[in-house]
Amino acid sequence: MENKKKILIVDDIEINRVILSEIFKEDYEILEAPDGRRALEMIGEDQNISAVLLDLLMPEMNGLEVLREMNRQGKTETVPVFLITAADSQQMLLEGYHLGAVDVIRKPFLAHFLKCRISNVIELYGHRNELERIVEEQVERLSNLNRSLVETLATVIEFRDGESGEHVKRISSLTKILMQQVSKMYQEYRLPKEEIDKIVMSSILHDVGKVSTPDQILNKPGKLTKEEFEIMKQHTVKGCEILHKIPHIMEKGLYDYSYDICRHHHERWDGRGYPDGLSGDDISIWAQVVSVADVYDALTSDRVYKKAFSHEKAVQMIKDGECGTFNPKVMEAFDACIDKIERKNRRNREK
Amino acid sequence: MGIFMGLLEELKELGVNTDEGVQRLMGNASLYERMLGTFTKLMNDTPIEIEEFDCDDCGELIEKTHALKGASGNLSVTPVYDAYTEIVNLLRQGKPVEAKAAFEKILPVQKEIIQCIERHK
Repeated sequence: MENKKKILIVDDIEINRVILSEIFKEDYEILEAPDGRRALEMIGEDQNISAVLLDLLMPEMNGLEVLREMNRQGKTETVPVFLITAADSQQMLLEGYHLGAVDVIRKPFLAHFLKCRISNVIELYGHRNELERIVEEQVERLSNLNRSLVETLATVIEFRDGESGEHVKRISSLTKILMQQVSKMYQEYRLPKEEIDKIVMSSILHDVGKVSTPDQILNKPGKLTKEEFEIMKQHTVKGCEILHKIPHIMEKGLYDYSYDICRHHHERWDGRGYPDGLSGDDISIWAQVVSVADVYDALTSDRVYKKAFSHEKAVQMIKDGECGTFNPKVMEAFDACIDKIERKNRRNREK
Repeated sequence: MGIFMGLLEELKELGVNTDEGVQRLMGNASLYERMLGTFTKLMNDTPIEIEEFDCDDCGELIEKTHALKGASGNLSVTPVYDAYTEIVNLLRQGKPVEAKAAFEKILPVQKEIIQCIERHK
């Protein structure tokens, strides 16, 4: 059986509901509400209502109040609302339009015109909603593609330096905790959730340049010589070169964050990092956050050249500046979420 | 000629535009008849006393007369619709005395229409 679209008729006078119902029942499934309150309940319960025919003057919660609530909930974006009125209050109608009403139906009704007008708008909204759904689907697909790409790139380097892919996952989860904390604590570093999500995903690529680092340096059990360290440092710049070759397959924002993090996650607050010797807030906050996450994870992990330090020891070393100087504000945020970081790190390693 | 046709003809005599009313209901005459029954119920359930016009802000009375105006308009009960349109407008303009006069004028016509519909039930 064909699934009919639904129309909700909201009017306190039964006669009006029945007349409208009669006009539309052949083509639509009809829902009726005798007052605004019930109408809102029905709109909340049923996500498949295609249009609302809303009487303006009702004793129990009037049409404008219903419309205001629908507007607040963002419902007027996807469901066309038609105001039914016999009154000529320009003020009310204007407010109705401002609140997202799509058209006004004047009483007494003229069936044929009404049928055409409302059906046209429902069809239009249907097309628009469908288009939005397709766009959302494609954005989601693109986002998944980006993630796969990022993870594939990261896995390549993880296999080379003897890790199993867990390091990048730990870095991204620590980056998330610390970035959220920094954003919460400091107005100047505040970022919307969507941007933090991109930074978290980009953090996975921080070491992608290590694919160009020779095995004997990357996996050397002992301390690196000065020359070897110089080559190792090149992974920041090499990472950017790799990303530079694939910008078209990454979303713009993601590419920019990845590029910046790749290049600057070894910079230090006092200017003694590499490769550019940036200092202070010349280093982006996301690169600063990934730096701390990277150092913490390196300290609490076994490496070919060292055993893992305990959480407490690692935190102490970071605070004491043994791994370079960090932004004091980032350190305060790190301190504020230290328990969360410890729990997450422990869970990550138990997997 | 059946009872239903008799009703329509009688109503026509009283100024009700039954052709338009049926047309408003997509040509469904029997539904129109049923709706006229609902209309009489609405009129009886929403009694308006003459004293109600001795009001200051008249908010409640405006609501009642507005509802009757809407229902009568949708069924093309033209004399009632025209009268209540005028009554609502006068009340909104703060002229309850004039509105009362209009109400008193429509009252017998309104009663006759309702009695006619009820006779044919």
